[in-house]
Amino acid sequence: MSLAAESRAMRVSTSAAACVLLWMSRTVLALFASYPLLLAVRATSMTAGPEGDAVLFQPGSLMLLELLRLGGPSLFSAGEFALVLLGVFAILELIPLAMALDLLALPNRALRERLARAIQVFPRFLALGLLTLLLQAALLLASNLLTAAVKPVLASADERLQSLLPIALMGLGLMGCGWVGAVLDIARATVVTRTFDEVGARAAFAEAVNCLRQKPLRVLVGPYPSVAGSALAVLAATWFSARSVAVPSSSAALAFAFVTHQVAMLFSIAWRVRWLNAALELSAECD
Amino acid sequence: MRRVTQDLLIGAVFSALSGWLLKALLLGASTPSPAPTQPKAPEPTWPALTASPPKVASYTIAAKLDSEAHRVSGRETIHFVNRSSAPLRELWFHLYLNAFKNDKTLFLRSPFGAGRSGDKAKQYGYVDVKKLTVQGGDGQDLWAARDHHSPDDPDDETDIRVPLPNPLEPENELVLELEFEDQLPELVERTGFVGSYHFVGQWFPKLARLEPNGTFAHFSFHAQSEFYADFGDYDVSLDVPSAFRVGATGSRVRESHDKARTRLDYHAENVHDFAWTAWDKFESRSERIAGTAVQVLYPPHQARNAEAELASVRFALPHFNARYGAYPYPTLTLVHPPEAAANSGGMEYPTLITTGGPWYSTFGGGHFIDVVTTHELGHQWFYGLLASNEHTEPYLDEGFNSYAEAEALEARFGSGAVFDGFGLTVSSSALNRIFSAARGEDEKVNQGAADFATFRSLGALVYSRTATVLGTLARVYGDERFNHALGVYARKFRFRHPTTADFMSVMQSELDDHALTVLMQALSERATVDYLVREISNAPVSAAAGVFDGPNGREQKKPEAPHEANEYASRAVVYRHGTLQFPVEIELGFEDGTKQLRHWDGSGVTFNADNLGPSRLVSVNVDPTRRILLDDDRSNNWLSIPSSTASRVRERTLFAAQLLLGAFGP
Repeated sequence: MSLAAESRAMRVSTSAAACVLLWMSRTVLALFASYPLLLAVRATSMTAGPEGDAVLFQPGSLMLLELLRLGGPSLFSAGEFALVLLGVFAILELIPLAMALDLLALPNRALRERLARAIQVFPRFLALGLLTLLLQAALLLASNLLTAAVKPVLASADERLQSLLPIALMGLGLMGCGWVGAVLDIARATVVTRTFDEVGARAAFAEAVNCLRQKPLRVLVGPYPSVAGSALAVLAATWFSARSVAVPSSSAALAFAFVTHQVAMLFSIAWRVRWLNAALELSAECD
Repeated sequence: MRRVTQDLLIGAVFSALSGWLLKALLLGASTPSPAPTQPKAPEPTWPALTASPPKVASYTIAAKLDSEAHRVSGRETIHFVNRSSAPLRELWFHLYLNAFKNDKTLFLRSPFGAGRSGDKAKQYGYVDVKKLTVQGGDGQDLWAARDHHSPDDPDDETDIRVPLPNPLEPENELVLELEFEDQLPELVERTGFVGSYHFVGQWFPKLARLEPNGTFAHFSFHAQSEFYADFGDYDVSLDVPSAFRVGATGSRVRESHDKARTRLDYHAENVHDFAWTAWDKFESRSERIAGTAVQVLYPPHQARNAEAELASVRFALPHFNARYGAYPYPTLTLVHPPEAAANSGGMEYPTLITTGGPWYSTFGGGHFIDVVTTHELGHQWFYGLLASNEHTEPYLDEGFNSYAEAEALEARFGSGAVFDGFGLTVSSSALNRIFSAARGEDEKVNQGAADFATFRSLGALVYSRTATVLGTLARVYGDERFNHALGVYARKFRFRHPTTADFMSVMQSELDDHALTVLMQALSERATVDYLVREISNAPVSAAAGVFDGPNGREQKKPEAPHEANEYASRAVVYRHGTLQFPVEIELGFEDGTKQLRHWDGSGVTFNADNLGPSRLVSVNVDPTRRILLDDDRSNNWLSIPSSTASRVRERTLFAAQLLLGAFGP
C-alpha cells in the first residue's frame, strides 16, 4: 500500500471512528432526554391496549389527538423537562466533540488520554460556545429589529412581500448564525490541536476570525454540505418512515423506522465529521 | 478553490434533493387520495323536492356605493305577504348594520374574545332609514312612529318595531317603500371596508321572519348569533365605480356603464338574504360545475388558492347534490377576501360564500382552503335551503353542516381530510371529536346562540359536538343509512324553516326510536357516554371438590393437586358511564393469540365478557373499530397483560431528541 493510500485509509478509519463516537454519545444522551416524554405518554394509558402505541400512529390521528387532549398538561411538563435535559446534554456533548476532534487530529492517542484532553479543554469549549451564542443572539435580534422596522413600510405592499420579507430576513440571520458556528468549529479545532498553555478561548476565536479573513470562501462554504446534508437526511428519513405505515408487520415497521432514522443520523454526523476535518485543516493552514 | 467548488456542488445537490423531498412531503400530500367515490345517485325513496318556497318578503333595491366615503345609499321596495294565520298590527325590522354604530350596542358591548373575530370596531358603521311609506297609501312616514331602540335595550338599534296604521290580514300584501343610507364600518365581522375592499352584508333594512302564528322572530344582533329570514325574490341594482369588480347573491342580469360608474343588476329567486362585495383589485375565474356557473373572486397573486377553491367545488357540489338534493340556483360566487380583510372570510350567504386564507395556504399539508370552501358550500343547504333559526337553534345549520363538511372531506381526502403531510394525517372526525370531548358537558348543544357562555363554547358544542353526535350515529347505524336519513331531512324541508322537532321526526322515522332518544339526550341534555374496562380475571377450572350427597350415598371429593389447568374461566368487566347508550363490540384477546368479539347492546351499566377456554384472557378492547366517537375517554377502553412498552413512541422521541441535539448542540 502506498503512503498516500495508507494515509487515506487512516483518515477514513479515524473519520468513521469519530462518526461512531459522536453517534453513540448523541444516542445515549437523546435516550435519557426523551425518557420523560415516554413516561408521560405511558402514564396516559393510551398505549395500554392490545395494539400498544400503534394506535397513536393510525391514519386520521384520532388517538394521537386523544393523547394530546388527555395528557396535554403532563406531556407539556415532560416536554419542558426534556428540553432542560437537552440543554444540559448539549453542553455535555462538548466532551465527545472534543474527543472526536482530538481523534481526527491525533489518531494514535490512547482513549484515556483523549478523554483527559477533552475534559481539559471543556472549559474553553464552553467559553467559546457562550461567545458564539452571544453573537448568534445578536444576529437574530438584528434581523428581528430589521423586520420590525420594515413592517410599516410594507403595510401597503403585496401580501406575498409582506410575509416573505420577514422570512427572508430571518433566513439571513440564521445563515449568519451558521457562519458564526463555522468560525466556532475552527476555534475549537485550534484549541484541540495546540498545547494547553499555547492558546486560550479568546485567542482561539481571534485566530478563527483571522482564518475567516484569510480564507473566507472556504470557511463560509465549508459547512454547506454538512448543513444541507443534515436537512436532506432528516427529510429523507421522514419520507421513508412515512412510507413505513405500508409495511404490514408492526414490528417490521418499527425496525424499518429505527434503521431509517439512525442511518439518517449517521449520514448527518458523517458530513459533520467531514467539516470538522476541514476545520482542523483550516486551523493548521491559518496558523 | 477546487475544495470550495466541490463543497458548493455537494451542498447544491443536497439542497435540490431536500427541496424535492420537502415538496413530496408537503405539496404532494395535498393531492386527493385516488378514486374518491361520489355517493350513489338519488334513490327512488327520496321525497320529492319542493320547487320554490312560499314567498313572504321580496326586495327590490337600488344601491349606490361611494367607495371613498364607504357609504351606500339605497331605495328599497318590499313586497310583503302576510302568510301567517293572524292579522298583523306591527312590523319588525332588522337594522343589523347598527350593530357597529357605537361601543354600547349589544354586538360591540359583548365581551370581545367571545365574539367570532374578537376584533373591535375602528371606524363605526350604521344604517339610517330616511323614510318608510306604504305604496298606494296616504304617504304617511311609518318610520316616524317606530320604536327608537331594540326591545328593553335603549343602547341598541338593531331590532326595531314599526306599528302599522291598519292591520294586515292573512294572505294580504303590503308594498313598502324605504330610503336608507349606510355608513359601512371598517371591517369588524363580515361587513365593512378595508382600503378599497368592500364587503356589504346585513346592509339593508330587512323584515324579521314572520312565523306561521303571526309573530315575528325578531332579535337584536348578538356577537355570537347569525340570522333568520323569510324566503323571497331579490332584484338589486348596484351602482359602483367602474374600476370595481363586483360579486353578489344571484345572477347578473344586466350591466350598463357610463363614464365613471357601472350599474349591475342582480336577480335572485327563493333566497333569504342578499350580500355583495366590490373591490378594484379582484381577479376572477369562472367555470361551469355540475350545471352551475361558478365564479371565484380573489386577490392578486392568489390564483393558486382560487384553483384550490374551484377544485373543492368540483368535488363537493356534485357530492352535496347527491346527498342533499340538487343545488337549485344557476350561479355560485366564491369570494376570497384579501388577508387584511380576513374577517369577512368564512361566511355564507345565498349563492355567495366567502373563503379565506393567506396566499401560501396551499403550500403544506393542511387542507385549510378545502375545509373552509367545503364548509361554506355546505351552508347552501344547511342555512340556504334549510333556513332554520340560527339565533335560537344554531346547531341545525352549523352543526349539521360541520358533519356534512367532514363527510365530504373524508370522501375526498380520506383520513387526511384536515392535514396530510410528513406522514401524519388528521381527519375531520378526529378533530371534531377532540373539541367535542373537551367541552361536551359544559353546556347543552341545543340552545340559543346568545345563551352560550362564550363563542369558544358555542364553537365546540354547536359545530364539533353536533358533528360528533351525527358522526357516531353514522358509524352505529351505518353511513349509508344515516346519510340517507339526513338526505331525506334535507329534501323534505327544502325551502322551509325546519326546527329540532322536524329533524327528530325524520330521524325517528328513518332510523328508530333509539336514535331519537340518543339525539334528544345528546343535543338537549348534555348527555355523555364513556365505556371503560377495569380488570381482567382468569380462574383455572378444576373438578369440584367437597362433600356431595348423591343417590349412592355421601361422596367426598378431594381438591385436585396443583397442576397446569387445561381450561380457564375468564372475565372482563366493561362499564358504561353516562346516560347515552350505544351498542358496542368488545374484542377479547387470548394468550394463544386468538381473538373473540362480544356484542353488548349497551343496556345496563356493566357487561361481563366471559369466556371458558383453554387459554388465558390477556387483553380487552372495547369498541375496537372506534365507532363511538362520543366516548368521553378512549384511554380507558382497553387493558392488556403485559402492558405495552410504547416502543414506537420511544423510537420517535429518541430520533426527535437526536435531531434537537444535532440542531442546537455543538
